[in-house]
Amino acid sequence: MMSILNDISENLQRGKAKVVKELVQQAIDQGISAKEILEDGLLAGMSVVGEKFKNNEVFVPEVLVAARAMNMGTALLKPLLAGDGVESHGKVVLGTIKGDLHDIGKNLVKMMMEGKGLEVIDLGTDVAPEKYVEVAKNEGCQIIACSSLLTTTMGMMEDVVKAAEAAGIRDQVKIMVGGAPVTDEFCKKIGADKYTADAASAADAALELCEAMA
Amino acid sequence: MTGKEQLFATLRHEVTERASWVPFAGVHAGALIGADATQVLTDEDTLFKSLMEVNRLYRPDGQPVVFDLQLEAEILGCDLAWAKDGPPSVASHPLADTMTVPCKCKLPKPNQGRLPLVLSVMRRMKEAVGETTALYGLICGPFTLASHLRGNDLFMDMYDDEDYVNDLLAFCTECGKLMSDYFIEAGMDVIAVVDPLVSQISTSHFEDFLSGPYTELFDHIRSKGVFSSFFVCGDAARNIEAMCQTSPDSVSVDENVDIITAKAITDKYDVVIGGNIPLTSIMLHGTQQDNMKYAVDLLAQLPEYKNFILAPGCDMPYAVPVENTIGVAQAALETESVRKMVENYISDTFNIDVQLPDYEHLERPLVEVCTLDSATCAACTYMMGAAVAAKERFGTEIDMVEYKFTEKENIVRFKMMGVKSLPSIYINGQLKFSSVIPSSEELDAAIKEML
Repeated sequence: MMSILNDISENLQRGKAKVVKELVQQAIDQGISAKEILEDGLLAGMSVVGEKFKNNEVFVPEVLVAARAMNMGTALLKPLLAGDGVESHGKVVLGTIKGDLHDIGKNLVKMMMEGKGLEVIDLGTDVAPEKYVEVAKNEGCQIIACSSLLTTTMGMMEDVVKAAEAAGIRDQVKIMVGGAPVTDEFCKKIGADKYTADAASAADAALELCEAMA
Repeated sequence: MTGKEQLFATLRHEVTERASWVPFAGVHAGALIGADATQVLTDEDTLFKSLMEVNRLYRPDGQPVVFDLQLEAEILGCDLAWAKDGPPSVASHPLADTMTVPCKCKLPKPNQGRLPLVLSVMRRMKEAVGETTALYGLICGPFTLASHLRGNDLFMDMYDDEDYVNDLLAFCTECGKLMSDYFIEAGMDVIAVVDPLVSQISTSHFEDFLSGPYTELFDHIRSKGVFSSFFVCGDAARNIEAMCQTSPDSVSVDENVDIITAKAITDKYDVVIGGNIPLTSIMLHGTQQDNMKYAVDLLAQLPEYKNFILAPGCDMPYAVPVENTIGVAQAALETESVRKMVENYISDTFNIDVQLPDYEHLERPLVEVCTLDSATCAACTYMMGAAVAAKERFGTEIDMVEYKFTEKENIVRFKMMGVKSLPSIYINGQLKFSSVIPSSEELDAAIKEML
């Protein structure tokens, strides 16, 4: 059983989407639980990709094809997971901040977070501060994650913190910030909770924050 | 030696007496004349006037005429989202849903999009400052242009359909060659190929997909008799060697790359490296002293001024305080004197008794001009010139004095006065003008208030 889960992980790391899909189907047919296939096969593989990305061993194309392979696998598992007692590890609302259309970094964060078993609501790009807060409130998200590539839009992240305060949910959500010009100092200055330098670290931090809040 | 000769000497790999200096003032140029980013990139006179102000205040050896990686994309059908304080962003990708390569008949022509405006400003800049300042024409690199056209799927195409990616990159390379031709014909001395996305791929992907196109592009530029540069943003450290192997005359990197380590690689290929003053932490949010210190510390790490250009990490943020760039310019042009200023500023150990004037009981208005050194710093020269002219107009009605930061006594004085940036004008102890030179009307009005 371990060997097929290893094969899933390894093929996922190489971005072999079709092979991953076939292997996941085989694993299901062998009677391996959806939870095990997900966690010991797909998420294990994505975790290796995340680590390598963090260490500058793989880059954007490698992460994108690995994530696509993961999605092919999870699509097969989804109908089974509901009955398998698998719960998400937390819920995140994610988007690129208002005025900013850059989405590569934000997409990587989404993939890495999903790779950690987090549920991610992706609001896309050019997201108004109030929108993050509205969705976090309505969907019960533990985390608001904002991305910005431009020095001119990063200031808008402070408005997310203020909007969360105004909506009375500041003590119920953690606000994460990231993107090329963002720094830990900036994160502290605007009163956000967590800055991470790369997508894989963002996913690790989000998982930790969700576990701490559980 | 003019700035242009200085930069050319650097690009010819000669040892020079100081480091060459190229401020990447794109939309920031507009901030110098109160124009927003959209105006700078869409109005010919505004762009020209802004660039002339960059030339006047920052005394560059070389300067870009326009910094907009969306110029080609716009002509090729991408929608743009405009901003007041930054260059436009690409909002749609015409090839997002179709894995095709545009017909060569779609390649940009000089009368399309904003090219007439850009080419005209290039000619005007050449006429106005081209004798003394090297002018950079910036084109969008093939990889970034391909991603503008195709969107993020380009990254997965690199796995799914290598032939398609090669064909699309060949189209974008043709585009780059054509744009270079237009810019060279308009008088540009250096063609910079700007490809921020190069930092997002592995070296093997660079070699598989980009080594060929880039070698072709730089060979083309060289055949036209002008210099070339390869600009990247982000952590491109691992790809510097592969970039050098495509034979640009120079490369330019931002603060994500350790430029001294990278220089060991570029030196091996006798390629010039430029950079990498941090755009946000230092240029945008730092003080003038931070900027001068960063620049002189960086220059101090070089054994000699060879194969090196002092420059911001990339396109400067719109709102970089003018005095910060003035500080960097001064550090590049007068490195030793700025090094002493910074040392003195930091050491803070000298015990000099400085008496500030009794501002409350002056006999007549006192105009105090605080400068880095009006003899060597262009912006300080203009600020001092404005004050001297006012003194001539007002005669004995006012007093006027210059304090230079080069003198230790004035470091103490500036700290006592609370002077944050240079050059600046204080009247009766109150800050009236900082970095931006006042017109004679503005200065006269400020003086008259005190009469």
